[in-house]
Amino acid sequence: MSTPSPAPAADREGTGAAGGPAAPVSGPRTAGTAEAESTPPRGDCTADATGRLSFRIAGPVPRRPADGPPHLLLRRRGKDPAEEVRLPLVPLDDGRLGASLDPGDALAEGRWDAYLEDADGARPPVAPGVHDLRALVDRDPAGGPGPVAVRIPYTTKGGDLAVRCWRRAPHAEAGELHITGGVLTVHGLLYGATPAPGAHGELRRRGTGHTVRAETATDGPRFTCTVPYRALADAAPPGIWDLWLRPAGEHGPRVRIARLLDDIADKKHIFTFPAVPVTGGRAPLAAQPYYTVDNDLAVRVEVAEGAEPSG
Amino acid sequence: MTVVRGAHEIRGRMHISFLIHNGYGIGGTIRTTYNLAATLAQQHDVEVVSVFRHRDRPLLPPGPGVRLRHLVDTRKNSPDSDLGHPAHQRPTRVFPRADGRHVQYSALTDLRIAGHLGTTEADVVVATRPGLNVHLARHTRPGPVRVGQEHLTLDSHPRTLRAQLRAVYPRLDALTTTTEADARAYRARMRLPGVHLEAIANPVPRPAVQPADGLGKWVVAAGRLTRVKRYDLLIRAFDTVRTQRPDWRLRIYGGGDQKQRLRTLIDRLGLYNHVFLMGVAHPIESEWVKGSIAAVTSSLESFGMTIVEAMRCGLPVVSTDCPHGPGEIIADGVDGRLVEVGNADAVARGLLELIDDDGLRLRMGAAAVRDAERFDPARIAERYTTLFTTLVARGGGPRSAGWRAPLHRATGALAGVALTARAVARGAQQKQKGHTA
Repeated sequence: MSTPSPAPAADREGTGAAGGPAAPVSGPRTAGTAEAESTPPRGDCTADATGRLSFRIAGPVPRRPADGPPHLLLRRRGKDPAEEVRLPLVPLDDGRLGASLDPGDALAEGRWDAYLEDADGARPPVAPGVHDLRALVDRDPAGGPGPVAVRIPYTTKGGDLAVRCWRRAPHAEAGELHITGGVLTVHGLLYGATPAPGAHGELRRRGTGHTVRAETATDGPRFTCTVPYRALADAAPPGIWDLWLRPAGEHGPRVRIARLLDDIADKKHIFTFPAVPVTGGRAPLAAQPYYTVDNDLAVRVEVAEGAEPSG
Repeated sequence: MTVVRGAHEIRGRMHISFLIHNGYGIGGTIRTTYNLAATLAQQHDVEVVSVFRHRDRPLLPPGPGVRLRHLVDTRKNSPDSDLGHPAHQRPTRVFPRADGRHVQYSALTDLRIAGHLGTTEADVVVATRPGLNVHLARHTRPGPVRVGQEHLTLDSHPRTLRAQLRAVYPRLDALTTTTEADARAYRARMRLPGVHLEAIANPVPRPAVQPADGLGKWVVAAGRLTRVKRYDLLIRAFDTVRTQRPDWRLRIYGGGDQKQRLRTLIDRLGLYNHVFLMGVAHPIESEWVKGSIAAVTSSLESFGMTIVEAMRCGLPVVSTDCPHGPGEIIADGVDGRLVEVGNADAVARGLLELIDDDGLRLRMGAAAVRDAERFDPARIAERYTTLFTTLVARGGGPRSAGWRAPLHRATGALAGVALTARAVARGAQQKQKGHTA
C-alpha cells in the first residue's frame, strides 16, 4: 500500500536501487517459533470488484475464545463509546486465518483500525501485508438507489493495518478537473440519484457560510460544474470553499463532491492541481482545488505568494 | 556433492557469511542480499553481518534461517551503544574515502571488521560494497573464500576509488558484477589476474500477487525520484501519449529530491489528470499489477531491478537502452521494448505501440513472466552455490598457498569447472606476489 512519505534517509542504503522492498519470503509463518512470537500478526488483503475485502492473517494464531471463533476486530478511530465490527476468522488451506468484509456490511465513514481478538482479551494490532487492490482501480460500482460503499485498506502512520470507509447516498464522484483561464471545470458522476432540472453546484465557504452557485450541465448521471475563481474572490475574503452538488436544485439534497472510487486511501498528496492567479480583483489572489483529508473536493483561495493583502 | 578441501570434508553444506553496510535499513543491496541469503539458507549455514545497527529491528526481514548480527551499535538508547566509543571518534584508516559511506566509518569499524574477518569460521565471506570489499581483501584470515560484490558499476566510481580497488582486489578470490557489461568493464580496465570475475544478476522473488491481466489503462513506473531516473523524460513522453490516447494514465511510485520539479512539470504541461506521483509504496508488487505497461527512462541503470520486478508481475517494460542492465534483461520486441536514451519521442512511440495493440501487449506481458523466471532467487542462488563450491574446492585466500595441495583433486571432482585455467594463472600470480609481499 502506498504511503505518502519516504522512509527516513537514515533507513535508506542509498544504492540508487528503486522501488520498495519486497519481502524476501512470503507465505505462512508458523506459530510457536521465535519469529512468530516477536512478530505481530500480518494481514494480506484482496479487494474484488464488488468492494468486498478478503483478509488473510498470518502470524501467531489467537487462542480461540470459549464462546466462538476468533475475530478480526475493526474499531472506528476516535469513537467513544467504541464502535466495533467483528469479522469471524476461519482457518484457510495455507494455515492462515481468513475473514471477509462484505459490501453489505454497513461501516460508517471513518478510519477503522484492525486488531486480532484474542481469547484473553488481548488485541494485538495487525501489521499490513500485501494488499491486492487492483480491482478498486477505476472502480465503477453498479448504479441503483443504495449507498455507495467504499473500503480501502491502508497503512497508518504508526505502521498498522486500517481500513478507510465511506458510505454515501447519493454520492457525487469527482473525475477530471480542468483549470483554464481562471475557471475550474469539474467533471463528475452522480450515484444514487438523477440530476433534475435546476441541478447546480454550490460552493460554501468554511467559517462564514457564504455560498456561490456554480453553473452545471448534466447528461444522465454525468455532471459538469463550472467555477469561475473570480466569483469566489468577489463573494468573500480568502478562505476554503467546499464543493457540493444540488442535484434537485435549491430545495433538494446537498451532495458532497468527492473522489472515492479507486484504490488510494488518501488523495490529498497524489491528486494535486496547480494554483493559478485570480485576475481582476483588488488583491493579488491565487486559487487551487485540492482534496481534503476526507477526499472531498475543495478550493483554496489565498493571498498570492509574495503579495501583501491590500485591506 | 562432496568436496575435499584440505583436511575438511564438506558435504555440500557451506557456512556463508555476508558483510553488509547496514542490514537494518531499506535499500536495493539489503533487499538483494536478504533474498539471496534466505535462498542459500535452505541448504547452507548463512549469516549476515551488518557493520552498523541503528535500530532494534531490521526494516526488511532477513528471511528464515538467516542470522543477522552487527559489529557496531549506533542506537542512541542501546546499553551497548558504540556512539560514544573513543575509537568511533577517530577516522577510518581502511575504508576508502571515495566510497560514499566513508563518513560513517571510523577506527572502531576498522577494528571490529578486522576482528570479524580475522577470526571468521565461514567457508565463504561475501562483501557487498567497494569499501567493504577493501576490508575483505585486506583483513580476511587465510582460509575462507573471499567474494566481493559490485552492486553498482565500475564507471560509477571516482578514479581514486578505482585505483584503490585495483590495488587490493587481486587479493579477492572472486568479484561479481550484476551485468555482463560491468564485468567487461572490469576485465578491460582493472586487470585482476587470478580473480574470478563473473556477472550474476540480482535475484527477484516471484511476486505474492497474480500477474497483471494487461487490460487496465495504466502505465506504471517506480524508482527513486532522482535525476538519473529521468522521470522528466517520461512525463514529456506521456504528454504525447495523452494527445493520442487520453484514456491512458501514468503512475510514478517513489520519493526523492526531484519530486517538486516533476510536480511543476506535470502542472505546466496540464497533465494533472493523467500523471500521478504516488509516493513510496511497499511492497511494490501490488502496485505493478495495477498497470499494464511499465516504463523506465533512466540514463543509467546499474542493474535494473524494477525492470525484473515489473516483468515478474506480467508487465512488458518500455525502457531506454541505457547502460548497463536494461539491454541484458529485456529481449527487445519479445518481452518489452528498448528505446533510445534521452529521446522522449522514442519513449512515447514505444508506449503507444503497446497501448494501441492489445494483442501485442498481452503477448509481451506473458513473455515477460516467462523470461523473468531466470532471476528467481533459486536460480541465482544456484549460480552462487556453484561459484562458492568451486572456489572452496580451490581453497580461499591468496596467502593460503598451503591450501593449493589438494587443488587438482578437488577441481577434478567438480563438473563443468571453468576455473581450472584461472586457477593455474592464479598460481602463477601467487608466486609473483610472493616476491613483492
